Amino acid sequence: MSTKVAIIASNGGLFDAYKVFNIATAAAATDAEVSIFFTFEGLNLIHKQAYQQLPMPAGREHFAEGFKAANVPAIPELVGMAVELGVKIIACQMTMDVMNLKKEDFIDGIDVGGAVTFLDFAKDANVTLTF
Amino acid sequence: MQADKVIDAKGLACPMPIVKTKKAMDELGSGQILEVHATDKGAKNDLAAWAKSSGHELLEDREEDGALKFWIKKG
Repeated sequence: MSTKVAIIASNGGLFDAYKVFNIATAAAATDAEVSIFFTFEGLNLIHKQAYQQLPMPAGREHFAEGFKAANVPAIPELVGMAVELGVKIIACQMTMDVMNLKKEDFIDGIDVGGAVTFLDFAKDANVTLTF
Repeated sequence: MQADKVIDAKGLACPMPIVKTKKAMDELGSGQILEVHATDKGAKNDLAAWAKSSGHELLEDREEDGALKFWIKKG
């Protein structure tokens, strides 16, 4: 049976996006079964508009040059790769209701679910991470 | 070493060398050898760990012409 990796993404900055999607993509490329539950600000990371311009932490804007110099892929590119590699994306229904967001506001290919949807996957995961 | 396929992942940052290696490996058959060229310094440990976790065998790795080169046999 393959390794299962369960990730909770609950923050919405650019650094958060790289932490989540680098681990998820690397895991999926190593034949792991990966699910990510996006909740609260984490929803920014899969929002069609927001994920193209995620904010750097205050005072860290100068890292933009470092990202360019290191040839780090843009977040939409990384998300596309994650989806292509079979990473399952679950958006939190409750947060969507609170923030008045619809499934159409997000990138294609996502699932919408509650906490139990994620917990059902995470209960026998080999690796569980929270960002 | 004679490789069945060579991929160039030079200039790419983590996790791209791994993603590219995985995609290339998917196209090979068991026992065939993939040669990977990378400049990401993390790739040295990452590709070794990737091969181990994915059931492949890292036959050799060395630094040559300013790049890290790996030869991985598909499991």
